[in-house]
Amino acid sequence: MDILVWIMAGTLLPWFPLSWIFNKLLASAPGFWAQALAILVFPQLGLLLLIYSGAWQALPVGLDSNLRGVALFTAVFYAFRAASTREVQVWARLMTTSGLALTWLLHGQNLDPLTLQSFALAWSIPGALMLVWAGLLEQRMGGAYLGLRGGLTTVLPRLSALITLTALAASATPIFPTFFILLHVVKALPLAWIPGGLLVLLLWGWAVGRFLQDLLFGIYRGELLEDLTVGGTWLGGLVLGLFAVGGIFWGGAWIMN
Amino acid sequence: MGGRMDNELTLGDRLKVRSMIYVASEPIPRFWPMRTFIHHNPLFGLEHLSFEAAIEEANTLFHGRGYLSRSQYQEYRLAGKVDDAKLEKYLDDFLGALPGVLPGVALRKWLWSLLTVCQSEQVVPKADWLNGQLLHDVLHGRSTTVNRDTQQLRLGVILADKIAPDGPVYANIDRLFGTGIGQTLDELLIKSCLDFFDEGQSAWQAPGRDRGFFAAWKEVAQHNVRFFLRGLQLRQLLESGETPEGMVAHILKRLKVPEESWQRYITRQLTRLHGWAGFIRYRSSARRYYWAERFPADLTDFLAVRMVLGMALLQEAVRHHDCPANAEAVQAFVHADPLGAYLRLELHTGSILPAWAHRVEDVLARRRRPSFEKLAHAYMDNKSRWEGERQASHLRRLAATMGGDAEEELMAMTPAQLDKFMEVVRTWEKGEGFVWLRSMETHYIKALINQVNIPKASAPPVDRRPFAQAMLCIDVRSEPMRRHLEAVGDYETFGIGGFFGVPISFLGYGKGTEVHLCPAIQTPKNLVLEIPAALELEEEPLYGALEHVLHDLKESVLSPFVAVEAVGLIFSLGLIGKTVAPLIYHQLHDRLHADKPVTRLLLDKLSHDQADSILRAVQRAMIVRALIKEWNIPRDQVTDDDVRQLREIALENAQGPSDLAQRRHIGDQEETAFIQKLRDIYRVERHEMSLQMERLGRIGFSVDEQVRYISQSLLLVGLNRNFSRFVLMVAHESQTQNNPYESALDCGACGGGKGLPNARVFAAMANKPEVRRRLRDLGIVIPEDSWFIPAVHNTTTDAVDLMDIDLLPARHLLYLERLRNGLSAASRRSAAERMPTLGGSGRLAEEPYAAAMMARRQAHDWSQVRPEWGLTRNVYAIVGKRELTEGLNLESRAFLHSYDYRLDPKGRLLETILSSPMVIGEWINLEHYFSVVDTEHYGSGSKAYHNVAGRFAVMTGNQSDLRTGLPTQTVLKDGKPYHEPVRLIVLVEAPLPFVQKAVGNLVKIKALVGGAWVRVIIMDPEDAYRAYVLDDGAFRLQERSELSMSQPLTEDIA
Repeated sequence: MDILVWIMAGTLLPWFPLSWIFNKLLASAPGFWAQALAILVFPQLGLLLLIYSGAWQALPVGLDSNLRGVALFTAVFYAFRAASTREVQVWARLMTTSGLALTWLLHGQNLDPLTLQSFALAWSIPGALMLVWAGLLEQRMGGAYLGLRGGLTTVLPRLSALITLTALAASATPIFPTFFILLHVVKALPLAWIPGGLLVLLLWGWAVGRFLQDLLFGIYRGELLEDLTVGGTWLGGLVLGLFAVGGIFWGGAWIMN
Repeated sequence: MGGRMDNELTLGDRLKVRSMIYVASEPIPRFWPMRTFIHHNPLFGLEHLSFEAAIEEANTLFHGRGYLSRSQYQEYRLAGKVDDAKLEKYLDDFLGALPGVLPGVALRKWLWSLLTVCQSEQVVPKADWLNGQLLHDVLHGRSTTVNRDTQQLRLGVILADKIAPDGPVYANIDRLFGTGIGQTLDELLIKSCLDFFDEGQSAWQAPGRDRGFFAAWKEVAQHNVRFFLRGLQLRQLLESGETPEGMVAHILKRLKVPEESWQRYITRQLTRLHGWAGFIRYRSSARRYYWAERFPADLTDFLAVRMVLGMALLQEAVRHHDCPANAEAVQAFVHADPLGAYLRLELHTGSILPAWAHRVEDVLARRRRPSFEKLAHAYMDNKSRWEGERQASHLRRLAATMGGDAEEELMAMTPAQLDKFMEVVRTWEKGEGFVWLRSMETHYIKALINQVNIPKASAPPVDRRPFAQAMLCIDVRSEPMRRHLEAVGDYETFGIGGFFGVPISFLGYGKGTEVHLCPAIQTPKNLVLEIPAALELEEEPLYGALEHVLHDLKESVLSPFVAVEAVGLIFSLGLIGKTVAPLIYHQLHDRLHADKPVTRLLLDKLSHDQADSILRAVQRAMIVRALIKEWNIPRDQVTDDDVRQLREIALENAQGPSDLAQRRHIGDQEETAFIQKLRDIYRVERHEMSLQMERLGRIGFSVDEQVRYISQSLLLVGLNRNFSRFVLMVAHESQTQNNPYESALDCGACGGGKGLPNARVFAAMANKPEVRRRLRDLGIVIPEDSWFIPAVHNTTTDAVDLMDIDLLPARHLLYLERLRNGLSAASRRSAAERMPTLGGSGRLAEEPYAAAMMARRQAHDWSQVRPEWGLTRNVYAIVGKRELTEGLNLESRAFLHSYDYRLDPKGRLLETILSSPMVIGEWINLEHYFSVVDTEHYGSGSKAYHNVAGRFAVMTGNQSDLRTGLPTQTVLKDGKPYHEPVRLIVLVEAPLPFVQKAVGNLVKIKALVGGAWVRVIIMDPEDAYRAYVLDDGAFRLQERSELSMSQPLTEDIA
């Protein structure tokens, strides 16, 4: 029974190699709204399963570092893969997988369930938003693959702005909650593992750099496209703004405690 | 293999490679260094073609576009700046050539709608698979059927077109494997060029530059850690050839490029970074270019470096991607797997359907052939369908805007008709830009013809003597100044090339190198020296000395580590001052600086004895200076004989030891070292002396030359009588801060330099009694009380300053105040006209003092990206008497050259105007034209991202091709063209046959006029000032009347 719980949890809260199933499940969700919903809900279900089945607390001490080691590897592996993809949906899934895998590193920190769930949510929200933007981009271009026709800023300035901000949020850029909770991850890591944590950060930087390069730069050479409506942009901006402000308070409170 | 390739090459082979490079470089325009920015036609190398053909060729070579977008032209049309009648005529001409091509289709209506209401850039875009049948199926909602055999055949054509056998191998590899070799190659080559061509910007210089570009680069490349870390195997490659041409030939053979394709291959390589290639081309052919003489380089070196780097990167790609290694292998690869090649091509060139990109990328990475083929076929079907849908949507949209039964007409077309229809539209769209351009030009031509004053034939010449006359440059910025000057007082103005017809090589006081102050197409023969009238002080003013120290500190590589805390604050004071209060800062700065001393120009030719005497004096001064510096012996302890003796020893006319050395017990060795320093550093040596003598021989003008230049210039502008008390020679210059393009705002007729020395030279010559006496013999009577005064018009502030006033005869001083008042009033009026267009409030038009203040601030503001509009919006060049344009507001858009054909019976003066000022105008005009129509390829993009490269050019970001054109801030306003791009419209006031003869005598001008690089209007005073416009190779009457006549341009161009 425990094994089954671990398998299910490792699938919903991605942990290598079960993270592969997590990504397959996300990719198979019908439509971008469903994918966005799935990326928000799956990790929460995984955490609830771990916490309420008692598996999270009952993990033997000896296994603890192995579990955390694989989690760190998962984060590094998916960050590396994100750096080499130009498909926005895939990028969003890989980056979110990389971030969510860090949740496992909090094992043994005696954190309350709400904090753990907030932690996972902080990675899921930018992922979900990015999947929505990717869906909207796909509606306009036929696909959400960047770098084919040059930068999109001139034809889709509003959507590009939202995608840029979301990509920064997904890669733990300061002011976004992902940055503050990353400090906690670093704190939770044994000293010898710090280079691994920094490697994740480095790979995210690389991934977001390439992503934004493909998104923003170069002269656009394709068909004319219809940008996101002003209302839609405000709404997206509001969500991101609330995410950032909420994250600052939550992250700050966490640090203070 | 070392050197073997070179040994295998015969002299003929070497010459062949070099001649191929020469031919390939011909279309690449030379690029002058930024400090003497020359406005030039970016398509100068294609001027042997017609304008239209050159644009097409340039599109292939430089990938630049030649016309504005359709929507931009439509905006101009709505603003009334396009002649509709002409637009319709060109459309009718086009359709006239296609009689009955599509019966039942209202083609004229379709094309007119396309032209005037369609917002798409291209209604029939280039497509791989689209044909009439496909479009027909899509339009009628049928599924598209694909014949695999037809598809296969078409695929072969697509691949042959996109993977050209004579295309650069690395470029084909990039297209097939996404290796990015081209980009990396450009980056590495640019770094190598920056290292070699640096003109003092870098604190540390690349070694061995005096041996030439390729030799120096080769030496460094073999030890370059960066190349080593990248895994580039350069050493072996470099050993295979000694000379650059040998290396080029070796690599071309190794790449298995067929010899008949070498020429095209080399052309493609050179045009890839045409900014750098243009600069190297200029540099290698420039005379007396200091840096080129010290560090020689030519395009063969450049190409050799490029090809070696390209080959090394290709080898690296072969190792990592297992891709083909030469041209033959690339073709074999494509033929072996055309489906895979097509998918690769689609993915890596960015033309893939975005929905398929990820899947195709995935499959290509896995290399599973079965799924690969299936995917390729599915993709091609989808791509075809997508192309059909896109085309159908474009046509439906166009039909909807047309209204009526257009959509029914579209739906009724058969597949064959649709094929024909698309072909017609495609052909029309290809030539549409040229149609718009000519129609827009017609608007401006008509506007000018209707606007100019027609002088009354019976009006007798007025002999009333104006208070002052002023000769200003033909530059468009002189137009408002002339207009306002004439409006505020009794002034008569003339337009002439800003070098005033006197080409000089000028060596300014305190400068180390000569500058050529004349049109870039001329080489001056006469050197003019500026020498201080006051004694030179040894002591440097305190502020100047401090500034030197700080400047040296800024340039040092160690400064960032040690000096920031210590002296950073001092720099910050300057930064704050320049930013917050630029005017006050600069007033303070100017006060602290020592004034430039009063100077005179050495104008008269020197005799041999005079030259020898000057040279001796200079050498003696250098020896005295050397004694103080090297041996610490002050002047009072050295006799003239000592100096003479040391000079003789240095010139190898005598042997040491010198008396001075013996007297001061200086050893032989020490004296020998000193003598060597005299030769090496202080240039007291035999060879240098002969060079100096040659240079001294170039100094000044003989009296004959002076008379010739003055008479020619005066006759050129039609000024041979009725001279005023003051004749101002008004040069112009700009004043901006922090602006690498500063010289682009200076005088184009002075080769991008400041024209004041020419004005001073002209005035000094014209004031000479001897010159005036001989001018009188030629019928040009300059009264004794006429005085030529040089002046300078600051085009940024509009201020006009009089120069060499200390030479003014005392009796003229009484009138000086009136003259200055008139000039400053005209300056303020001109500023009031300009400032509202530069972001100033509209109220400034009524407040000249405030406008003048704003203009001064612009000149001192270092954050100002647009200190003045410069030559932007130029459209006309008017060659004729001032009566034609007097009182007209030409809005700074016209080059005005004064000319009276009655003083030019043989037409020689007109030939001079056509072959020099008109060509300058054409270059300026086309520089602006192309910088607007393609801001990226021909223009230089935004100034905000520019960085100075090696002190001779600018790049975008930290490395890019040299940006050769004008920045967007110069030609655009709020993202829209501020400069309205049309070809220069040249109006000549002279009899038609007279002009035809003059044009026919000048081969280059005939090509320019015949090739329609400029538009020409002749206003014939002997034919009641009727206007003849050159259109489609013939002069046609274009007047207020409806007469229609046609005459050939010259006997040869009809």
